Amino acid sequence: MQFDDQGRVNKSKKRAVFNQPEAKNRVELFRHLPQYEHGSQLTDLESKFLELDSMHPAVYKVGVQYLAGDVTGGNARCIAMLRAFQEVINDYSTPPGKTLVRDLTAKISSYVSFLIECRPLSMSMGNAIRFQKSRIAKLPLTLSETEAKAALCNDIDRFINEKIILADKVIVRHAATKVRDGDVLLTYGSSCVVEMILLYAHELGKQFRVVVVDSRPKHEGQALLRRLLAKGLSCTYTHINAVSYIMHEVTRVFLGASSVLSNGTTYSRVGTACVAMVAHAFRVPVLICCEAYKFHERVQLDSICSNELGDSNDIARVPGRPDVNSMDNRTNEKNLQFLNLMYDATPSEYVSMIITDYGMIPPTSVPVIVREYRREYLLI
Amino acid sequence: MPDTQVLVNDFLNKLKKRKIEGSQATARQTAELLRSVISQQRVPYTNQAGALIDAVKAVGEQLIAANPVELAVGNIVRRVLHIIREEDLSLTTAAIGGLNLSAVSDDENDDDRDGDSTLSAAAVAAAARSTLRPPSLQTLLEDTPVSAAVPQTSSSGGDSEGKSKSADKSSRSRKLKHDVIEAVNELIQDIVTCHEQIAEQAVEHIHQNEVILTLGSSRTVLEFLFAAKEKKRSFRVFVAEGAPRYQGHLLAKELVARGLQTTLITDSAVFAMISRVNMVIVGAHAVMANGGVIAPVGMNLVALAAQKHAVPFVVLAGSHKLCPLYPHNPEVLLNELRSPSELLDFGEFSDCMDFGSGSGSPLLHVVNPAFDYVPPKLVSLFITDTGGHNPSYMYRLIADYYSADDLVVQRRATAGN
Repeated sequence: MQFDDQGRVNKSKKRAVFNQPEAKNRVELFRHLPQYEHGSQLTDLESKFLELDSMHPAVYKVGVQYLAGDVTGGNARCIAMLRAFQEVINDYSTPPGKTLVRDLTAKISSYVSFLIECRPLSMSMGNAIRFQKSRIAKLPLTLSETEAKAALCNDIDRFINEKIILADKVIVRHAATKVRDGDVLLTYGSSCVVEMILLYAHELGKQFRVVVVDSRPKHEGQALLRRLLAKGLSCTYTHINAVSYIMHEVTRVFLGASSVLSNGTTYSRVGTACVAMVAHAFRVPVLICCEAYKFHERVQLDSICSNELGDSNDIARVPGRPDVNSMDNRTNEKNLQFLNLMYDATPSEYVSMIITDYGMIPPTSVPVIVREYRREYLLI
Repeated sequence: MPDTQVLVNDFLNKLKKRKIEGSQATARQTAELLRSVISQQRVPYTNQAGALIDAVKAVGEQLIAANPVELAVGNIVRRVLHIIREEDLSLTTAAIGGLNLSAVSDDENDDDRDGDSTLSAAAVAAAARSTLRPPSLQTLLEDTPVSAAVPQTSSSGGDSEGKSKSADKSSRSRKLKHDVIEAVNELIQDIVTCHEQIAEQAVEHIHQNEVILTLGSSRTVLEFLFAAKEKKRSFRVFVAEGAPRYQGHLLAKELVARGLQTTLITDSAVFAMISRVNMVIVGAHAVMANGGVIAPVGMNLVALAAQKHAVPFVVLAGSHKLCPLYPHNPEVLLNELRSPSELLDFGEFSDCMDFGSGSGSPLLHVVNPAFDYVPPKLVSLFITDTGGHNPSYMYRLIADYYSADDLVVQRRATAGN
C-alpha cells in the first residue's frame, strides 16, 4: 500500500479493525512504509476481542500472535495462517443467496487485511494466499458445499506438506552434502531450515563447528544457540560487528531467506547483506537455503523501496544498560529518529548458491524456476 | 626520583586496569608523565642526551608493556625520544656554528647519536641522515674543508679548547633539558588541541544537504560535525549504534542537542542504508605505518560497504594516533577481547558454559573483540591536524615525528655502551 498517499491511508483507517496510532518522528526515506507506535497496539486489539464478531477466532488468535511476536519466521507464519484458514473453511457455511466461491474469497480477503494490520505480510505468505485464492476460484461448480470444503482443506494440507515440510527435508539432504569434516559453518540470526541442516549433519556424524552471529534488537541467534547447544554442537557466539574478526576461521556460510526475488536478490533479515558481503570479501562461499514457494517475480535493487519497519523503541532502549537508556525520554525529540529495519536485500553477486527443493541453483536461475514451475504448482 | 617512581607506578596501574579511556587522554597523560621524568632526571655533563634517552626508554618500556594495545602510549614515548634527539642535534649544530672551525676536535666515536660533547660536521651530516631528514646542503658542503683541517688542529688545540668546551657544556646541559621540556609542552598542547585543527577542515569536505554515516562515537567526529554546522552547512547524520558498547547512542544524543538531524540505526542496517549516504566519517583508535586503521569493532564492515557503493570513507585522526609500526596480523596482535557478558547474559546460559559436562571443555565460546583492522585500500582520506592525506602518504609523516632508532623501545644493555 502506498503509505505516503494520504487519501488511501484515510480510507484504510476507516476499514481498520483496531486503532493504530502512527509513529511520530518518522524517517523521511521511509515515508512510503507504515510505521506505527507499537506500545498500545496489543492492548487495543485484545480489548476488541468481544466486539469482533465478524472475525473468526482462529484468525484473531494468529493476528495476536503476529502482533506480539510469538510467531516469527516465514515458514512458521505461513503455516499458522494456513491452519487458521483451514479452520475458517471448516466452520464456513454459505449464507443464503450467495455463492461459495465469491463469498469465501471475500471473507478470506477481509481476514488477510486484518492480518496485514497486525503485521505486514511476508512474501511467502503472499504466495500462499494467492495459491489459496486460485484454488477457491478453480473449484468446479458441481461440488456440494461439504465436498468443496473438504477439497479446499485437502489442498491446504498438501500445500503445507509438499511445499514446506517435504521441501525442507529435501533441502536438508542437499545441504548436508556440502558440509565436510573440519568445517566451520557460520549462520546469522535464526532460520529454521539452517537449524535443521546443522542438526541433520550433526546426526550424520560430521565433525564441524558452528558460529552463530547475532544482532540487535531481536537477538534471534540466542534461541538458535540454545537449541544447538542442547543437541551437543560446539558453537561460537558473536555479534555482527565482529564478523570480520571471525570470518578468517570460517569455511562456509549458511543463511536463510524470507524470499528470493527474480533478479537474484535475497530478501531476508536485516544484517544478512552485511554478513554475505564480508564473506565475499574473505572468499568464503555463501549458501542460501530457501524453499521454492518463497520465490517471487518481483525485483528489487535496494532495501529501501520495500521493507518493514519495526518498533523504534527497540532501538532506543538497550536492555541492561542504564547509562545508555537515558536516551529513552528522547523519542519525542524532533531531531532524533530511530530506524528499525526488519529486512534487507542482499545482491546476487555475494551469493554462491541457493539450495531449494528443486536442487542447488545459482542465483541467476531463480526467474527460471518462477516461470517454469509456477504454473505447475498452481495446478497441483 | 622517588616522586617520579610513584607517578610512574600509578600510571602503570591505570594502564593495566584499562582505566583510561581514549587515546587522547592516554597520550596526554603519558606526555605529562614523561615530562616529569625528564625534569627530575639528573644529567651528567657528558652524554646528557643519552642519559635522558635511557631514562625515557626505561619508563617507556614499562608503559608499553602495561597496555600493548593502546598504541598511543608507544607513540608518545617515541615522540619524546625523537624530541630529545632533535633538540640535541639542533644544539650541537648551533654549537658548531659558534665554535667555528678551530674548535672542532676529531671524534672517533661514530655513535654520535648519543649526543657526545662536540661533533664534526661530517658526523653532523651523518646524524641528520640517520634521523631520516635530508642533510642540509650547507653541512654537506662544509664537510670537505672542515675534515681536512681536523687532524692538524686536534693535537694542538686540545688543551686550550678544553676549558672553553667545559664552559659550553655546562650551559648546554641546562639548555638541553630546558629545550626538551619546552618541546614536550608543545607536544602536549598539540595533543590537546588536535580536535580544533581537524575541525577547521570540516567546511572543505561537507557541502549542503549531505547525508553522513558514522559508527560509534568519536570526539573528533563530533567536533568536526559541529564545526560544519557552525558554518551553516545543513546535513543529516546516520549513526550506527556500535554494539556492544552502544557509543552511537551517546553521539546521537550530543548531535541532537546541537540541532542536527540524526537517525540512529543498528549495525546490521549499515549495508541497507549506505546506498543513500554521501560520505562516511569515522574516528580511529590508531593509524599504522602502512595507512591501515585500528578502529572500534564493526568499522571493517562499514568500510567494505562503503567501497561497494563507492562512498568516500574518511578517517579523522590526531597526529598522536600515528604509529610507526607495521601491522602484522592485527586482528590478533593488536586486538583485545572483552568480556562475554556484554553479549550474553550469564544467567541464561550458565548451563551451557559448564566445564564439568562431557569432555570437560565447554561447547560454547563467546567472542567479543574490541577492535577491527581496516586495510589502507578501503580508506579514501585521512584528515589529521596537518591536513588531508592519502593512506599511501602516511608513512612519510612518520619521518616528521619519529626516529628510526626508536622503533623498538628497549633499554640498551648498559655494559655494551
